[in-house]
Amino acid sequence: MVGLLFIGLGRIITARVQRRIGPPFYQQFIDVIKLLARESIWHHWIMTLGSIMALGGLIATMVHVPVAGWLPYDSGGPIFLILYLATIGYLGMAMGVSASGNPNAPLGIGRALSLMLGYEIPFAAILILFISLTGSSSLTEIAAMQTGGFLSWNIVKFPLAFIAAEITVQAMMAEKPFDQMIAPSEIASGPLVELGGKFLGLGMIQMAVAIYFETAIMVNLFFGGGANIFTFTLKQFGVYTIAILINSVMPRYKIENAVRYIWTVPLALIIIQMLIVFLR
Amino acid sequence: MLNEIEQNRKERQSAWEYVINYFRKRSIWLLHYCTGCGAVELPPVMTSRWDLERFGVGPMATPRQADVFLVTGYASIKTLKRMIRTYEQMPKPRWVIGFGACTINGGIYYKSYNVINKLDRYIPVDIFISGCMPRPEAILAALEELRNMIQRGEAKGYDRYVKNYDWYKKNQKEILEREGSLFGEADDENK
Amino acid sequence: MKTSDILNKTKELFPYISTELFEEQQGRIKVDNERFLNVLAYLRNSSFVHLANIFAVDWIEEKEFELNYNLWSYDHNSSIIVKVGIPREKPEVTTVLDLWEHGQVYEQEIHEFFGIEFAGNPDLSPLFLHNWKEIPPMRKDFDTEEYSKRAFDVGEREGAK
Repeated sequence: MVGLLFIGLGRIITARVQRRIGPPFYQQFIDVIKLLARESIWHHWIMTLGSIMALGGLIATMVHVPVAGWLPYDSGGPIFLILYLATIGYLGMAMGVSASGNPNAPLGIGRALSLMLGYEIPFAAILILFISLTGSSSLTEIAAMQTGGFLSWNIVKFPLAFIAAEITVQAMMAEKPFDQMIAPSEIASGPLVELGGKFLGLGMIQMAVAIYFETAIMVNLFFGGGANIFTFTLKQFGVYTIAILINSVMPRYKIENAVRYIWTVPLALIIIQMLIVFLR
Repeated sequence: MLNEIEQNRKERQSAWEYVINYFRKRSIWLLHYCTGCGAVELPPVMTSRWDLERFGVGPMATPRQADVFLVTGYASIKTLKRMIRTYEQMPKPRWVIGFGACTINGGIYYKSYNVINKLDRYIPVDIFISGCMPRPEAILAALEELRNMIQRGEAKGYDRYVKNYDWYKKNQKEILEREGSLFGEADDENK
Repeated sequence: MKTSDILNKTKELFPYISTELFEEQQGRIKVDNERFLNVLAYLRNSSFVHLANIFAVDWIEEKEFELNYNLWSYDHNSSIIVKVGIPREKPEVTTVLDLWEHGQVYEQEIHEFFGIEFAGNPDLSPLFLHNWKEIPPMRKDFDTEEYSKRAFDVGEREGAK
């Protein structure tokens, strides 16, 4: 729900950047309800299975992401499990849309997976930095490390790592300049090309969930979690706003250039950050 | 008076459809497919001057995702073939807007050997916009009217297509798969 | 070299052509359809490497088609149009594919819209028209208005059903 609200607000922000008024903030809810009530054309039962698997994978991921220090059960927010589960969502989507038989869909999935190959390396490097500092792979503990005011947040302590992480998250959310996966004018919105009706509605919910947990990871890593759910959501929205602002003014990379860029610039930033931290 | 309107509404659609139609009319997605020169009017409508996204209207890349098929301008025979395929790929409910004079009667392409004249003989059109070119205000007005029609349950072009499928297919075949010349022997002798 | 010089030189070599300097940079050569390939081959080898277009005109009263070969020379910055008349009864010329390979599409198009045969062109399949059963549509004796009326302006509209 919060994710959908975020997308709706994000559309307004994009519109304002382009000097438009933009849709109402509840537009995403209208779209999703309309899509769920629509005729759905499906080609194979794998499509349904893939959609549900993708949504299930993302929800399973979200269960492990601590929201303002709160978790459904005491798992401590294991970061490697989160990364592992996040891929299941993508694989489910890959399975579902490949069954649709449209050549654009595997093309989009191929781009998504190669981009994933790109952004997981710098992201893992960031995690190594934090894990070596805190001695724990738990998101809750990383967030708890940063309690005690603005100055103890990781964004202030490790600004270079934050810039690198911001670029990585931009790729994770498939916002420009890393939206090769959906590229409407090139490959006709890629994985979503054959999805109509319910499948597209589920796809939008997936997108919302993905945005929610990706921003949540960012808030936990760099903004010190949150005292309660409201400040946490506010911080999440801040992260999303940065992403949307970059998105609304950027063109799109070619896929090979994107991967090359992610492998060089953010990785270099993190290594510099690591050298600063460890040599000091 | 009010009771009559209520009565008419109930004859056309159930309460559930009425609620769903509210969401449908607030989220109309256009198919990003442009047949003719009319497409040049769409960028100003989409961008900051007229800002179509205010009404939840946006462009979509594939027919599976789109609600409205906007036939922008003249449709040549080869385009017609693609248009029919595209239209049949769209999930219901789907609507067609005939855009510009060319879709109504051929417009300035009336005498052309390669451009169809009456679009509504081949696919069901819910609403026409006149003009060559229609102003962006006309497009906004047409979309507003389409929204009202959806809310009233009158925009049922997709039902007509199913009901009169034979008629539409016959007309389409007349154009696309005609056998033999249209000019008979008698015409050749006159020349 | 100026365009007028090129025209004069060509006229010396091929006395049977008629030349005309249209503008400072544009000349026209008129030649019959038996010997036009000589002229084209000569021009092709004297720096007119670019065949910009081939277009046809239907002179129905003179009973001939006129093919126009639009040539351009990058060395002399000049353009020459070679006009070739073909009788309407037997519209057939030799292809220029041996001189300019990219003439393929132009010849295909002219064959489709005027019905002119290009002897030696291997592929004259239709490019643009869909399921065409009439005489080629760009000929002057083809009545497009009447065709449009018979093909498209028939029958009832959707509302009348």
